Amino acid sequence: MHLNKYSELQQRLENEEFEQVELGADVYQQLLAIYMYQNKLADAKLLWMRIPNKLKEDKELIQLNLLNVALQNNNYADFFKNIKYEWSERVKAPVEDLLIKQREELFKLMGSAYVSIYQHNVLELSLMSEEELKNACAALNWTEELDGDRVILKPKVQEAPPSRGNDDQLLKLTEFVTFLEN
Amino acid sequence: MGSALENYVNQVRTLSASGSYRELAEELPESLSLLARNWSILDNVLETLDMQQHSLGVLYVLLAKLHSASTANPEPVQLIQLMRDFVQRNTVEQLRFAVCAFYETCHLFTEFVVQKNLSILGIRILSRAIDQIRQLDTQLTPIHADLCLLSLKAKNFSVVLPYLDADITDISTVAAECKTQQQQQSQHTDANNDAKYFLLYYYYGGMIYTAVKNYERALYFFEVCVTTPAMAMSHIMLEAYKKFLMVSLIVEGKIAYIPKNSQVIGRFMKPMANHYHDLVNVYANSSSEELRIIILKYSEAFTRDNNMGLAKQVATSLYKRNIQRLTKTFLTLSLSDVASRVQLSSAVEAERYILNMIKSGEIYASINQKDGMVLFKDDPEKYNSPDMFLNVQNNITHVLDQVRQINKMEEEIILNPMYVKKALGSQDDDLTSQHPKTFSGDPTD
Repeated sequence: MHLNKYSELQQRLENEEFEQVELGADVYQQLLAIYMYQNKLADAKLLWMRIPNKLKEDKELIQLNLLNVALQNNNYADFFKNIKYEWSERVKAPVEDLLIKQREELFKLMGSAYVSIYQHNVLELSLMSEEELKNACAALNWTEELDGDRVILKPKVQEAPPSRGNDDQLLKLTEFVTFLEN
Repeated sequence: MGSALENYVNQVRTLSASGSYRELAEELPESLSLLARNWSILDNVLETLDMQQHSLGVLYVLLAKLHSASTANPEPVQLIQLMRDFVQRNTVEQLRFAVCAFYETCHLFTEFVVQKNLSILGIRILSRAIDQIRQLDTQLTPIHADLCLLSLKAKNFSVVLPYLDADITDISTVAAECKTQQQQQSQHTDANNDAKYFLLYYYYGGMIYTAVKNYERALYFFEVCVTTPAMAMSHIMLEAYKKFLMVSLIVEGKIAYIPKNSQVIGRFMKPMANHYHDLVNVYANSSSEELRIIILKYSEAFTRDNNMGLAKQVATSLYKRNIQRLTKTFLTLSLSDVASRVQLSSAVEAERYILNMIKSGEIYASINQKDGMVLFKDDPEKYNSPDMFLNVQNNITHVLDQVRQINKMEEEIILNPMYVKKALGSQDDDLTSQHPKTFSGDPTD
């Protein structure tokens, strides 16, 4: 998935913000959703701060900001709870992409940060049903164990793709060595 | 239209047509008060002038409009649109003859939009103004500080950050510009303001970097601000020093190194930043509890200085630093031990901190929920991935560019007649040391 998927729209919205007065809530909604999707959390936070107060009563904006706050605080449980909402057509696409990305990220993070984690904790964090979680774990080759009557998940370390050198890199290195020698 | 204004228009038209811009630029400042007095009919004047052909004439009308803004109270959106048209359509070759007036126009414009709470509309306009007037991409102009101010006011940094990221190699000052142009200075373009705009640029720049959490770069900006050679202390420097101390703690956990040559810090700033030095001292004890108490104790002062948010960041950074310290001593530790050692309230909170730190790459560890243990690991980076190679490559290119830049600047200094004179002069001086030094100019001035 491309991070610059929405860059055209983003640019247009940013231009509007720079050149027009009295913007409607829709511009801010879309920008906020795009910033979050692009993981520009600082931008998202600042955007919320500069939204005029009277627009801050917009329901969808408030809901988007709940997501924003959850992301700022790394609070996955809140994030997945608040993303369940009837989004309008304007922001639906970026929000859906954001959800997929955050799921991926959560599993990647758990994969690297945990040797073992209780299933109920994962369910709480990701707000998935047991069935969904089972499928997700199967896709990642995670194993299960029982600790008493509680299920423990054992994430499997993802192997990084093997690296290969290429001519371009070699060229740069040669350039650098030449510089050092002179 | 009054006859005096007709004269103004005629003067602008004739001199522009004959290409005598220098002469025009020297005569226009005298008409400024006339224009400002007739603010009500300046739009008529503008109708008779063309932005491209008569850029200098339009510039002074704009300046007059901005000068009289407090009495005339013009429609903000209209004036902003006028300024936008001007920076898009003017002829920069003409502006070069009146750089100081252009700077002043930008300063007044900044003041105007800030006052009208429309800062965001000014950002693109000033960015365009900087692009036009600066002679190098790495030249600092007094307008840079205005752009930073508008960005801070509007809380929008996407435009200003590329400017801040460029390392400055040259500075355009009103003093230098006006010396070469022999312009009359109106009371507002005081050459002493050069220092103010320089300091403000670095102070605001530091604040912007702090806001986007690029603390290393913020530290550099505050450092430039506080170590600017000076005989007296500016309040901009003092505020920058307070922020410098706090950002130092976040980045390095202690006061970052400051070159010893700046006496102003020891003599004036330290005594006036007592609270902040206390904070630094307490931070050194690594006790989050004590730090919390002292932040609470000085919260009024911090809030007054608008540094409370930064103080909270400092507190969080101490928790993180303490956890990082644990990774150096222990291989495995239970989560509740982590909590008690770094004075967090519970094992759950400790887990949250550790998870966040793993996510941001500050520590390498894995948590075992079954035993409630955390296992600290070494940095898994083996420096063999293409990404890392790209990273190293970029750094190398950056360093190479800097070496080239430094060589170039050194060459310029060596070839500078004043430097040569002084270097030769001091050699002579060494030979006949009884003579007092008589230098005509000091290159460091």
